[in-house]
Amino acid sequence: MTLHAAIVKIGEKKISSDEAKKFILSNENGAESIFVGRVRNENSRKKVTAVTYDAHDQAVIKSFHSICNDAKSKFDKSASIFLEHAKGYVPVGEISILIAVSSGHRDEAFKICRYILEEIKHQSPIWKKEHYAEGKEEWLPGHSLRPKEEIK
Amino acid sequence: MKIQLKLYGSSKLLSDKEILNIELPKNSNIETLRNALSKIISEKYLKDKLQNLSKTSAFFSEDDEVINNKYKLKDKELISIIPPIGGG
Repeated sequence: MTLHAAIVKIGEKKISSDEAKKFILSNENGAESIFVGRVRNENSRKKVTAVTYDAHDQAVIKSFHSICNDAKSKFDKSASIFLEHAKGYVPVGEISILIAVSSGHRDEAFKICRYILEEIKHQSPIWKKEHYAEGKEEWLPGHSLRPKEEIK
Repeated sequence: MKIQLKLYGSSKLLSDKEILNIELPKNSNIETLRNALSKIISEKYLKDKLQNLSKTSAFFSEDDEVINNKYKLKDKELISIIPPIGGG
């Protein structure tokens, strides 16, 4: 198996870079690229305490598989990919997304990692609600999946 | 007819429950649903927070396919609303 893609419900399991590293380890792949996204404490000059991630689980998993398989076809068919995204309340400093890739060469490993991250932002039905130090919370704007020509 | 709208992201401001039941005229399509949603948003005084929700959201059928404005809704059908996304 060269692909692992999952939504991780906070409280049930932790996203682990050790698990990711173990999964992508391969004697054929000499390059590894790992991206770890964490919740940061500031956005648009507001002090953030946590982010709640919501997701349409089935559609997200479908999109993860499609994105990762596209990435492999484009850059390296032998690549191993580990991808997990958090769902639920994630405090500042905790991991929200982890992408780990092993590939034959460094260029492909970097490219696959970057490609997956950018495509998730445009294809995977995941939403963020920021929680602020002042007590307020706000759903963040995003990218519409409705065809542009339909939006008047 | 009634449809069940499964809420995601910012659309969760519309209800404390995961599913919002919406009454629609017979033979309604997604366009009718968008208009009904705009009305609900106004009635719940959520225009400032959900101003473009009915316009910018996509909708998924039960088998997670994007459905367009002409898609004919069935009585008691479960539809997911997909507001603009922003994970990662």
